[in-house]
This record gives sequence, C-alpha cells and structure tokens, in this order.
Amino acid sequence: MNNIIEVSGLAKVFGNEKALESVDFHVKRGEIFGFLGPSGSGKTSTIKILTGQLTPTSGKATVFDESVSQMKKSEFRRRFGVLTDNSGLYGRLSIQDNLKLYCELYDVPVSKIDEVLDVVNLREDKSKRVSTLSKGMMQRVTLARALLHEPELLFLDEPTSALDPMNSLHIHEGLRALNAKGTTIFLTTHDMQEADALCDRIAFLNQGSIQLLDKPDKLKKRYSDSTITVELLNEEKVVLPAGAEGAQQLFDYMNNNQVVTIHSNEPTLGQIFVKVTGRKLA
Amino acid sequence: MNVSLKRMNAIFQKDLKDFSRNWAVSSVILMPIILGALFGRTGVQDLSSHYLLINLAMAMVAMFVQCCLIAEEKEKNTLRGLMLSPASSTEIIGGKSLLSLIFTIIVIYVTAMLADYRPANFGVVAAAIILSTLFYISLGTILGLFSKSVMEASLVVMPVIMVFSVGSFITNFVDSYPILKVALYLPNIQLIELATKVEAGGGFGDVLVELAIITGWVVASFIVTVYLYRRKMVD
Repeated sequence: MNNIIEVSGLAKVFGNEKALESVDFHVKRGEIFGFLGPSGSGKTSTIKILTGQLTPTSGKATVFDESVSQMKKSEFRRRFGVLTDNSGLYGRLSIQDNLKLYCELYDVPVSKIDEVLDVVNLREDKSKRVSTLSKGMMQRVTLARALLHEPELLFLDEPTSALDPMNSLHIHEGLRALNAKGTTIFLTTHDMQEADALCDRIAFLNQGSIQLLDKPDKLKKRYSDSTITVELLNEEKVVLPAGAEGAQQLFDYMNNNQVVTIHSNEPTLGQIFVKVTGRKLA
Repeated sequence: MNVSLKRMNAIFQKDLKDFSRNWAVSSVILMPIILGALFGRTGVQDLSSHYLLINLAMAMVAMFVQCCLIAEEKEKNTLRGLMLSPASSTEIIGGKSLLSLIFTIIVIYVTAMLADYRPANFGVVAAAIILSTLFYISLGTILGLFSKSVMEASLVVMPVIMVFSVGSFITNFVDSYPILKVALYLPNIQLIELATKVEAGGGFGDVLVELAIITGWVVASFIVTVYLYRRKMVD
C-alpha cells in the first residue's frame, strides 16, 4: 500500500452551496502533502471528510485503504492525529493536564509530554493554565497534543497561522523530524513559504476543485518566465532571457566584473496560485 | 465491546479538576445541601418535602451539572477532540457521567442526613435513587448535546428542572385536569410513589412497577443519548 489517502470524484454540498466538486488526489505514505487554497475553498471540509467528521455527498475517499466512514472506529482514530483551527483545550487546566488526558486516551506514557513540548517550545510553560496563554501558545499546545501518539497520518489545518516566525521555524523542524520517523503529513496552509519549505507535493484547491498538483519545484519551473535578474555594481537590475542571447549579455557583464548577484526568476507558489486561479490566498 | 476503565477514569479525573475550578457550575451543588439543613432545622418531616429535596438534588446536580459539562465541551470544541481520540462513545459518555453520578449520590446522602430523612428500607430507596440519577444524568447529557453554549444550556435546563423537582405538585391537580395523569408516570413521581410504599413497609417485591417505570425512562433516555451523541460525531 503506497498511498495512505486516495480520493476520487469527492464532492460535498451544503444546501445549495458546493464545498467540494469532484476532487481527485492521492497522498503517498511518508510524504508531506500540502493542500493550499483560500478561505472557503474546501480545505477544512476535506480534512473533516478524511477523518470521518463529515459525510461526503458523492465520490470515494479511502484512508489506510479503508473507506473514510470507518474512521469513526477507535482502531483507526488511534492511527491518525488532527489539528484544526478550532481544536479545543481545557482552559482551567494546565498544559500538562491537558496533555496528560490525551496520553491516557491514546495509551501513551506521560513521559512523552516533555518530548512533544520540546517540539513546540513550551516545556518551560507546562504548568501554566491554558486560559492564560496567547493564541499562538494555545495553537502550539494543540499541535503538541496531535503529536503525542506519533500518528501514522497527521492532518494539520493551518498549524502555524498564529505563530511568530521563530516558533514557526521551530515547528517546521519538529514536523520534519516527525516525517523522517515515518509520519505522513497532510497540511493545509495559506503560507506559501511554509508549503514550499515543508511539502513534497502540493495541491491548489480553488472553488471546490483541484487546479494544480505537483512538486513545488516542478510547479515553479513550469510557471517560470525563463528569465534571470542580474544585479550590477551600479545597483541596476537587469532582466535577461535564459537563452543564448541572455547568456552572451551575462558573459559581457561578468567579463567586465559588473555582476553582484544573479537570480533565476521563478515565481513564488503564491504567484502561481494567483496566475492559475485569479484569486489571492486569503 | 471493550470498555477501557483507564480512559473513563482519565476523563473523570480531568472533569474533577476542571469542575473544582469552575465555581459558576460547582456551587449549585450547595443548594440542595443548604435546603436540607434548613428543612432539618425547621423540623419538616413529611415524605413529599424530603422528595422535593431529593428530586431537586437530582435535577440540580445530576441534570444541571451534566448539561453544563457537556455544553461546555461543545462550546470549547473539546468534545470533538475526545470524539476523535480512540475513546469509544461508551467511554466518553461514561467518563463524563461519573462526576455527576458521584456528586449526586454524595449530595443526596448529605441532604437526606441533614433533613433527617431515614428511609424504612435503605436498599430499595438507594436502588431507586441511583436509577433515577442515571435518568437525570442522561437527560442532562441530551440537553447539553442540544445546546451550543453553557449559557444556552443553563437556560434550556431550567424549565426541565422545574418539571422534575417541584413537578410533583402536579399530582394535586390530576382530579381537576385528567390529562395530567400522564405526569404520574414521570420518574420523579414514581420515586415518591415508591418511597411511600417503602414507608408503609414495602420491599423490593412491592415496588417492582415503580422500578420498572423508572428503568424504562433510563433505557429510553440512554437510547436517545447514544443516538444524539453519534449524530454529533459527524457535522
């Protein structure tokens, strides 16, 4: 079984509103799969369907080779972890008490708490009451909770949306380490840099359907305008075509010791998204 | 079906810690105790007064507290976290009901002691009270699952508390309004019927009908609770 998630023709309709319209993709075991799209594009609905919290209107979706309707069973819930933007915590309890509950629910030793708190940089704060934490700290606690049982498959819905860059980087390192141990990660995010840095493959979701799906590098090459930008000693920036003509000009600049830096003009994932969908990721 | 006592206990321990810091809800358990002490001091000794207190304790502690605990889990989105864990429906509902069950039994015992109520047959009355408590907890769970927030839950639960605590007065109007005979089958009224028979010297064999009716309410409320809970697992 190479694919941990397989989705074909998946649709979800709420009343007269189509949240998902014939979505097809698969997630390979062991990869970090980015699911990108603006608010209301159907990202959270997809996670809810894949984790058995929402019934699809039509189409087929399997996780661990089983229909998503089976994900309500304890044996499968043990195998995945979920962090959504509304994952709740017990405000009157400490971070440690919140995590202790989940250690016992998942049969994980309590000693694991310090390990996951290190990943989210909260070990020093574990005695603090959750109600006294900032939004970013709460998000890190819910992430720590999702990591406790080292799931085979981890669904992360905007895991770093409320975090500062330092903590985001720290969490990216933790996620990479978890992925290296074998956890497949299904990540939704608005943050194109995060997707670029973490994901093996990404899918662009817009208006309920997937518009593009590939490796970030391949997408950037595909949408590159085949030019390079050369910054010269006089602070002028010159855009050159990547072909023979540009090569000659570049050679001339270099020959005259005028070049400070050379950049290939690959688009960012955000720019590609706007180009493909005509919408911004917000 | 395997039920993990460890998971149920984990939910209970969490609830106990949380409840002890939640004065807005936990302070209600004092009300029946204070009333019990007042009744005891003023020498009110009739059975209907004792059962007004006992039914009030069950409505306030078993139903109100349970309703608020469930509604808060919903409001804070923590119930979904539990539902997504490996804990089964039985473990979650069972774990979440343990706190209300234990506190209700303690509060009823203390209230009855303070009000100087000593049932003629402790075993029969205790069995009936435990059964009734299960019904009230189940009803509290149902109301909590229906509510979106603690605020809404505390409003929704009030008329139900009225019916099941002071509702025994309805029996006084049955002769004038025959339709109210239906109310005679309510578990709180059946509990009073049972207690009256016990005081007249009845044992288990004499109160089987009352116990059966209360059990029927418990079973029906359990079925509705499980059905509703499973529906809430899916958006």
